[in-house]
Amino acid sequence: MKRFKKWMRMQPKFPSMAEMSPEDATPIELSSALSQNEAMLQDIFKCCSDIVFRQVKIAGQDAVIVYLASLVDEQIIDDHILKPLFESGIELEQESNPIGAESINKQIISAGSTKLASQASEIVKQVLDGFAAVLIDSDNRVILVKANGVKHRSLEEPSSEQVIRGPRDGFIENLATNIGLIRGRLKTARLKTESVILGELTQTQVVMTYIAGIADEALIEEVRKRVSRIQIDGILDSGYIEEFIEDLPYSPFPQVHSTERPDVVAAELLEGKIAILVDNSPFVLIVPMTFWTGLQASEDYYIRWPIATFVRWIRFLFIFIAIFAPSLYVAVTTFHQEMIPTNLVLSIASSREAVPFPAMFEALSMEIVFEALREAGVRLPKQIGQAISIVGALVIGQAAVEAGIISAPVVIIVSITGIATFAIPRFNFASGIRLLRFPILFLAGTLGLYGIVLGFLCIVLHVAALRSFGVPYLTPLGPITLSNLKDILIRAPIWARGNRPQATGMNDPVREQPGQKPSPYRDKLK
Amino acid sequence: MKPLLPLLRICLILLLFLTGGCWDRTEINDLAFITGSAFDLTEKGDSLLSLQFAIPSSSQDGGQGGEPNKFFVMSATGKNVSDAFEKIQKKSSRKLFTSHRSVIFIGESLGRKGINDVLDVFAHDPHQRLKTYIMVVKGGEAKQVLEAQYPYDQVPMEAVKEMEAQQSEVAVTLRDFFMAASSRGIYPIMGVIEAESEGAGQSKTSVFRLSGAAVFKNLKLIGMLNGYETNGLNWLKNHMEDGRINAELPDGKGSVSMVVAHANRTITSKVKGDQIQFKIVLQAKGPLFENNSNLNVSRPQNLALIQHSLEEAAERQVQEVIVKLQKRYQTDAIGLGRELYRSKPRAWQAVQAEWDRKFAEADISVDVKLSISSAGMAGPPLQLNEKEIMN
Repeated sequence: MKRFKKWMRMQPKFPSMAEMSPEDATPIELSSALSQNEAMLQDIFKCCSDIVFRQVKIAGQDAVIVYLASLVDEQIIDDHILKPLFESGIELEQESNPIGAESINKQIISAGSTKLASQASEIVKQVLDGFAAVLIDSDNRVILVKANGVKHRSLEEPSSEQVIRGPRDGFIENLATNIGLIRGRLKTARLKTESVILGELTQTQVVMTYIAGIADEALIEEVRKRVSRIQIDGILDSGYIEEFIEDLPYSPFPQVHSTERPDVVAAELLEGKIAILVDNSPFVLIVPMTFWTGLQASEDYYIRWPIATFVRWIRFLFIFIAIFAPSLYVAVTTFHQEMIPTNLVLSIASSREAVPFPAMFEALSMEIVFEALREAGVRLPKQIGQAISIVGALVIGQAAVEAGIISAPVVIIVSITGIATFAIPRFNFASGIRLLRFPILFLAGTLGLYGIVLGFLCIVLHVAALRSFGVPYLTPLGPITLSNLKDILIRAPIWARGNRPQATGMNDPVREQPGQKPSPYRDKLK
Repeated sequence: MKPLLPLLRICLILLLFLTGGCWDRTEINDLAFITGSAFDLTEKGDSLLSLQFAIPSSSQDGGQGGEPNKFFVMSATGKNVSDAFEKIQKKSSRKLFTSHRSVIFIGESLGRKGINDVLDVFAHDPHQRLKTYIMVVKGGEAKQVLEAQYPYDQVPMEAVKEMEAQQSEVAVTLRDFFMAASSRGIYPIMGVIEAESEGAGQSKTSVFRLSGAAVFKNLKLIGMLNGYETNGLNWLKNHMEDGRINAELPDGKGSVSMVVAHANRTITSKVKGDQIQFKIVLQAKGPLFENNSNLNVSRPQNLALIQHSLEEAAERQVQEVIVKLQKRYQTDAIGLGRELYRSKPRAWQAVQAEWDRKFAEADISVDVKLSISSAGMAGPPLQLNEKEIMN
């Protein structure tokens, strides 16, 4: 274990920012000579084919507009920089004294988001972020005009969390849009969005959002601390952040909840949790996560509560099946044959008559084949996807049984297990469960039911000891909070839901006016 | 040494798996499932053990080439049961597996000699189920029952199990038998089965017939009761479930029968000096099932008449068993001694030693109280016209 840990830690020292990209770090003040500034920028952006230096003349002064054509919307530059400049240029030409950057910014440029800067590093950074820089002769300040125009896909229903009833918009790869989706649901100034730039080369904006007054101050501080200490060259998805901030990196259970649905984020924020949005990633992280989050779908709260409760219990059942079904089959048929009813044991025995392998090997190989099928199905283009199901169902299922290589009960067990895994609503949670199946299967094949019990105990102990940002993973079942069980054992009606979860929402526990149970006689009774 | 330590730990953990039980693993197709056992007495006086094994046949080749055998039987004699068992194991390529055995048969001749020697093995081995039914095979060898080709069910012994589970006759499991055999004031009984064949020639098939009960005294078969008597005994033992009472009406009016839905038995005992008196009250409730007379049973007075003759018939039935047990077998299979022990422990202490004689001399009176809860769908018999019906 020690060696493994050492191997995991085996990496060179992280270089400082200056070593990694010297041109970003040097705090050079611009001079007031345009040619000098232009030359410097030319040098920084040399061999960048998409950089544009547009020479213009404003009131007799030379000026250069610098932008990256791949990042900006040229329409914005045309409409809000060039057009006003040229239109006002003739009038301004009459004036004798040279016009400064500040007055151009205030009077001429009609774009909404502009700023002035005089440091080279700042200008480079902003140009790389989709700003257009307007450099003017005889002024060391540069006008930075926001002209972002990278194309994004439109809002679509998230494919990983589809619902029958409920909102169908999902996050996209644009941070501003994503924040907008959340703000659209929580129209309060108490929704705070704190921004951090992470990734020395990607300069990714990471935004931490919470509702002030509901979220716990200590938790906010903890998230802030864990996020800001990340030092890495690049962040390409929120998955990077997740791995840096989780409590126990070696656990198969995810400790950070990730979702593509803005309604889920809004609901979790209302419970006092904290969301982390990462630019260029449609997956938003929510902390702290509990075990039960993995078993709850957003739709649970949009359909009527008796149905939602039933569905939840089905999921509780299926999580057991997903972990233990193949192991139970192996244990019972190889160690405890007396437990099976006589007629069943005879039909299992007859289907195994021709099978050359031990039951454990049979189950293990079918599980692996199933995993391969699933993995292949994920990556394949949709048109070939059907081929996979034909190969899977016919070749591996039917033919293997008919050839007597695999017994039919194993195929049934593996299919039930597969279905059970897909019934778990959170994908990353289900993946962890899927992983646990294999060690348990091994235990069942060597120690029988005793092994399964051992494995179960290990899982329970691990989950009970697990914490996500200081919140026990099994909350509110362990440690027990009776009132919060209303959202675990059942999905209590919205009017009976009561307080916010004790683990995260105790700053402002009350959610709703009590006694709102609907009834046709309500008003008469009053 | 230090760098080897983690390796050592991993090896120790792996050893735990390997030694812990991996070798107990038996694939299901390496087991020979015993579905029934039979114990017989050979002519030399040895005990013969026969085991019936289920053949797990692949369902795919069922269609062609005639009916495949569903089971086969192997036998061996031995000094004791485990010796014979060991001999059969040597003939089998698969490990004998007893946990799925549903029935144990005792040959009549062995039963008469005493079954003490074959019973003990069931109490020690944890793979034996105490819920296995145990029965006596009337006439002939017990092995013949195992060899009978029964048309239903994958394995014939499952059929016997189902028949027993219907509880229409005596269904005694090992557990019941052990409990009764070790209790005071009661002697154990067992179910009796006979192999019979139906039809003739090619279409001849074997069936089993449950036929009454066998009474054991000191673990020796002492006598058998036929189906009629067994029904009475069941009632006396408070096991009356779904039984029927048939009666002839007085003056040859026809026969009637009722189904017993709820039955209850109460025994009161009285000790008068040397004489012990038992009063057994049997109460039963149920619908009228058959009425072959021309009485209109929707009339209360007719129903009372029927009820009275049913009561008399039931009383006769029960009395017959009691007389047989008292006078012929002198064996208290009803458990009257146990009732006495429970209600009057002191009195029981006095008679315990000579209970067999005391039971034979005891004065047992039976009182049957029936109530017919409904007359069924029709009052008067539907096939008769109005004039023929007696109101």
